[in-house]
Amino acid sequence: MNFISLIGVELTKLRRSKIILILLTPVVIMWIPSILNAKINFNLQGIPITPEHNFFIQGFMGMAWFMIPASLLICTTLLVQTERNHKGFLKMLSLPLSSTKLCLAKFTILLLLATVQMVMSIGTYYLCCATVSQLQNYNFILEPLYVISNVLQIYAGAIPLAAVFWMIATLIQAPVFFVGTGLASLVPSILMINTKFWFLYPMSYPFYLLMTAYGKAAEGIYETEIAWLPWLPTAMLITITALAISCIRFGVSERR
Amino acid sequence: MIFSLELKKLKRTGYMPAFLGGAVLAAAVPLLHMLVRSETFIVLPGEPLNILYDANWQMMTMLNILTIILCACIIYHTEYSDNGAQKMAVLPVCDNHIFGGKFMITVLALSGMLLFEIIILELCALHWFSDYQVQLTDLTKNFCFSLIASLPTIILMLLIASACQNMWVSLGIGVILVFTVSVFPKENLFLSLCPFNSPYQTLALVTEKGKEYIFLVTCIAETILLGIAAHKLEHVRRYFS
Repeated sequence: MNFISLIGVELTKLRRSKIILILLTPVVIMWIPSILNAKINFNLQGIPITPEHNFFIQGFMGMAWFMIPASLLICTTLLVQTERNHKGFLKMLSLPLSSTKLCLAKFTILLLLATVQMVMSIGTYYLCCATVSQLQNYNFILEPLYVISNVLQIYAGAIPLAAVFWMIATLIQAPVFFVGTGLASLVPSILMINTKFWFLYPMSYPFYLLMTAYGKAAEGIYETEIAWLPWLPTAMLITITALAISCIRFGVSERR
Repeated sequence: MIFSLELKKLKRTGYMPAFLGGAVLAAAVPLLHMLVRSETFIVLPGEPLNILYDANWQMMTMLNILTIILCACIIYHTEYSDNGAQKMAVLPVCDNHIFGGKFMITVLALSGMLLFEIIILELCALHWFSDYQVQLTDLTKNFCFSLIASLPTIILMLLIASACQNMWVSLGIGVILVFTVSVFPKENLFLSLCPFNSPYQTLALVTEKGKEYIFLVTCIAETILLGIAAHKLEHVRRYFS
């Protein structure tokens, strides 16, 4: 079985899981306060930013801080729990396939679900922009290239986070501890981003990228350039280590 | 009988360690805050305890609510994995009592957690503010207020967890609710009374507005209403399972 067909099998398992609905709900809910309070975007309080950039950044703020990591956590729980029920892991491991491939296929599905959410969030952003522009008689719509590149960056920044969650899920068998550590790790990300060691904490990457976009749009709010040098090698190291550990430990407890 | 039965089911699910871990994490928030930035808080005007509450309670409550979500998911996950709920259905036990037992356990565990956090807050005030004296009545009042404010959240989350067979669905709904509510303004009285939003309030803030009785009565009323909803849900479920 090649990798593509493995991914096809994993996708079949997700049928009737209603995951798309769970991923879509926060994306839609996030924009309701933005539409209702659209007037706030004109009250800039001395920050040198245009209203349309303000609308974009403020709208994605909650998403980058909480909802992207939380959605990844929910997707990981889904991927692991569908196997744990009815001894799916044992059945999977009895197939003549390498467990590394199985593990990576599942991780690819996790990234795929994140991509689906990203596309949905861009779509809802443009829908909301059009609505607000009509309501406020002001053009809130930003050029697609800017929006897509920024959102893509935020989601790409979540890949190390996804790898870490995936590693925790394969290491910790009891779902309560896995979900618990995941949820608890989300809370301090806003504190970590203000310290010097933010690049060691994958949960703060998406929010950091959004804040840099904020800094670019409004001078003096935050750093205007992404600090690639300590960050990129660290992020790659974290991703590779986490994936390697999860590949090695995949299904070990079931194999006993 | 049902209570001890429910407690027994929670053995080795990690339920109690999860509450313990949540309590320790939440209690670490004010300690870390004071260790790192005590100078900024000591000079602030006002009651020491109120200063500490204003600085830390948002984050601590977030951790409390996340713990409630997690534990509600796990307490019903034990029923739905390996068809435990079907086995329970053939026993001579009333379905509603199971929900009640789980509710009681969660309330007890949360009250332990809240008590621990409030004691840590008092100790912080005692250690860093020189002229502060612990008043037991205030401590009890704060504790009771926070517990009652959390009741609607607990019962709503248990209701969601009991309705969804997959753990990740209830987890997803819970996380989405926390997120949605964190976007709402906290000043609005109607919104602050919603489940998932009420635990963020503190006694001092609510008393300042003179709304403490309305707040407590509404929270208890919400709990009763949601309890009735849970009772009805058990009836409805019997037609589908």
